[in-house]
Amino acid sequence: MMTDPLELPSGGRRPRLFFDLEETGFNEVPKRFRRFYRRWRGAGDKLGPNEALCPVCKVVIRSTKELRAGDRVYCMPCMSRLELVEEEGMLIAKVIY
Amino acid sequence: MAQGDNPHDLDEAEFRATVHSFEFWFEAVEGYLHGRPYGVSPGLQDIELSERQRQGLIMTLCNYCVGETAALDASSGMIGFAPDRGAKIFLATQVVDEGRHLEVLLHRMKQLGVADPDAEIAQRANRSLLKFKDRLLDFVDARDWEASVFAQNVILECLEFTVFRHHAGTADPVTAEMLRGIVSDERRHMGFGENDLGRRLLTAPHTHDRLCKIKRELDSLVLDTFAETMGELGIEHDDRPDLAGDYLAAVARLGFGA
Amino acid sequence: MADFLSNYSIQKWLESCPQGYLEDTVYGHGVDEREPEDLLQNEAYREQQIRTTVQLIAGERCALAASSGLVNAAPDQASKTFLATQTLDEGRHVEIFTQRLYDLGVKPIDLESTIKAYVNPHLGKFAEVLLEKIDKKDFVAGVVGQNIVLEGMAFSVFEMLHAGAETSNPKFARTLSGTIADERRHVGFGENRIGELIRRYPEKKPEVQRMQRDMTKHMLATFHEAFARNGGPTEARASAPQKGKPGPTYQGLNLAEASNEDMEEALSATVLKEFKTRLGRIGLDYQSPV
Repeated sequence: MMTDPLELPSGGRRPRLFFDLEETGFNEVPKRFRRFYRRWRGAGDKLGPNEALCPVCKVVIRSTKELRAGDRVYCMPCMSRLELVEEEGMLIAKVIY
Repeated sequence: MAQGDNPHDLDEAEFRATVHSFEFWFEAVEGYLHGRPYGVSPGLQDIELSERQRQGLIMTLCNYCVGETAALDASSGMIGFAPDRGAKIFLATQVVDEGRHLEVLLHRMKQLGVADPDAEIAQRANRSLLKFKDRLLDFVDARDWEASVFAQNVILECLEFTVFRHHAGTADPVTAEMLRGIVSDERRHMGFGENDLGRRLLTAPHTHDRLCKIKRELDSLVLDTFAETMGELGIEHDDRPDLAGDYLAAVARLGFGA
Repeated sequence: MADFLSNYSIQKWLESCPQGYLEDTVYGHGVDEREPEDLLQNEAYREQQIRTTVQLIAGERCALAASSGLVNAAPDQASKTFLATQTLDEGRHVEIFTQRLYDLGVKPIDLESTIKAYVNPHLGKFAEVLLEKIDKKDFVAGVVGQNIVLEGMAFSVFEMLHAGAETSNPKFARTLSGTIADERRHVGFGENRIGELIRRYPEKKPEVQRMQRDMTKHMLATFHEAFARNGGPTEARASAPQKGKPGPTYQGLNLAEASNEDMEEALSATVLKEFKTRLGRIGLDYQSPV
C-alpha cells in the first residue's frame, strides 16, 4: 500500500529519532539540566545525530530528538541561543543574538 | 525526567531569566566546586617542579592575577550602570567568580612558596596587560556599557578562556584542576558578553563602528599578552593554541573582521 | 588585619553560605514552602506584604549598587574579595525578594510599576546619601554607610519581620533567616575593617559622621511613613492570621496587638541603640539627626 507523502512527518522525510539522555559527568549547570550537555573530547570526538557543538564555549549540546537544520537549542553553560544550519552538507550551530 | 527540565523547551525570555539568576549560578557552581577547597580536590598530590618550571608558573600566575583583578574591578563597577535587573544579578555572580579566581590563584602562589604575592605581581606584571586593564577601567569609569562588555566579557574573557584551557592541558595536576574550575566560570562570562553585545548590535548598528575602533586599539595589547604568556609557559610557537580559533572567531561572530 | 580578613575569604563564604545554610533552598526557602493561603486570599494583608517587600527590594538594590561600587574603591585585595561575596549576597537578596513579589501575585511585567507605586520616598533619599559617597569612591564613608548604617538598619528590620513571620509564614521566615545570616557577615566586616581605617584616617571622622546623621534622618522618616502615614500594618494585622493568638514578640512587644506607634518606637530605638554601640566601637560618635 502506498503512503500519501503528505501524511509523512516533515513532508516525506523519515521521522526523527528520539534519544534517552544519560548523565555524562558534565557538571557546570544545575543538576536537572546536566544530561543535556557533555564535554567536547577534542579532534577525535564525533557528534551524534542529537548533538551540536556550541561555537562559543565548545560544549556539546544534546537533545532528546535528532537535530535538523532550523532547530533551535540553548547552550546553558555559556547562555547562548543557537540555530542549526546546514553548511556544505554539515549541520552546524550558529549563535542567534 | 520532568517535562520542565528540558532546557530547549524554554522560550527565550524564560531561558534568559533562568541563566542570569543567582539560583542558576548557585546550582551550577555546586557541581564543580563542592568539596574542592580553593578549586582543588583535597586528595590531589602536588608534583615536584624544577626551579625553572616553578619560576615560569609563578610568572604566569602573576599575570593571571592582573587579569582577574581587572575583571573583578570592572565587573563590580559595571553593576552600577547595567541596563536591567537580570544583567545586574548576573554581574553580581561574575564578581564573586572573579574574586574566587583571584583567591585561588593567590593561594596557589603561596603553595609555590611566594611569600608576598602582591609584591611579586607588581614586579612581574605584563605591561600590555596593565595597559589593557587601564583602558578597561576607563570604559567602566565612563559608564560605557557596550565598551565595557566588549573589553571585559568578550576580549578579556576570551583571552583567558583560550589560555586557561590550553594551560590546563599541560600544567601540573593541582594547577590544572584549579584552572578547569576557572574555565567553567569563564564560559558563563564570555557567553553573557557575546550574547548581550550581539543583541545590542542588532538594535543599535551604529555601535559597531565605535567598538571596531576599540577592538583595533585593544587587539595588539591582547595579542602581545597572549604571546608573552605562551612564552612564559615555555610553549614553542608552533605548539601554541590558536587564539584566532576563539578570540577572533568570537569577534567575527559579532561582525568584527580580523 | 590579614588574619581577620582571612575569615572573609570566598572559600569560607562558599562553605558557609551556598554550601551551608542555603543548601537545599530555592529562592532562599524550602522547596515545598509556599506563601500561606489565608494571606493570598486576604487582599488588605496581601497588599501590606507587597508594600513591605517593595521596601526590602529598594533597600537591597541600594546595597547591591553600594557594595559593587566599593569593590573598585577597596584599598587591598582581601577587602575586594570580601566585597565580592557581599555583592553577590545583595544580588541574591534582590532576587529572592523580587521572587516573593511574584509569589504574592505581582506579575513580572508589573514589577517596576509596583515598586514605584509602593516605595517609600524617604528610602530613596537614604540611598542617595550613600550612593553619593560610593560615586566618589570614598571607601571609608562608603563602608560605614553601607555596612554599619544600611546593614545595621536592615538587620533590625529583618529580625522584626522574622519575629512576625516565624509562626504565621514559615516560608518568608526562612527567606529572612538566610538574609540575616548574610547581614551578620556584612556588619562584622564593616566594624572590623573600618575600625582600623578610622584609626588610620581620623580626619575622615566629621564627614563620615555627617553622612551617618543624614542617613539616620531619612531612615527614621522611612520608619515613620511605613508605620503611620502609609497605611501601617495595624489594619492589615487586624485580619492577619495571628490576631487573637499568643502573638509573636519583638523587643518585648506583642506584634499582633501593638499599635503602629509602639512598633515604630521599638524598631527605631533598637536600630539607634545598635548604631550608637557599633559606631562607638569603631571610634565614631553617633550624630542625632534632630
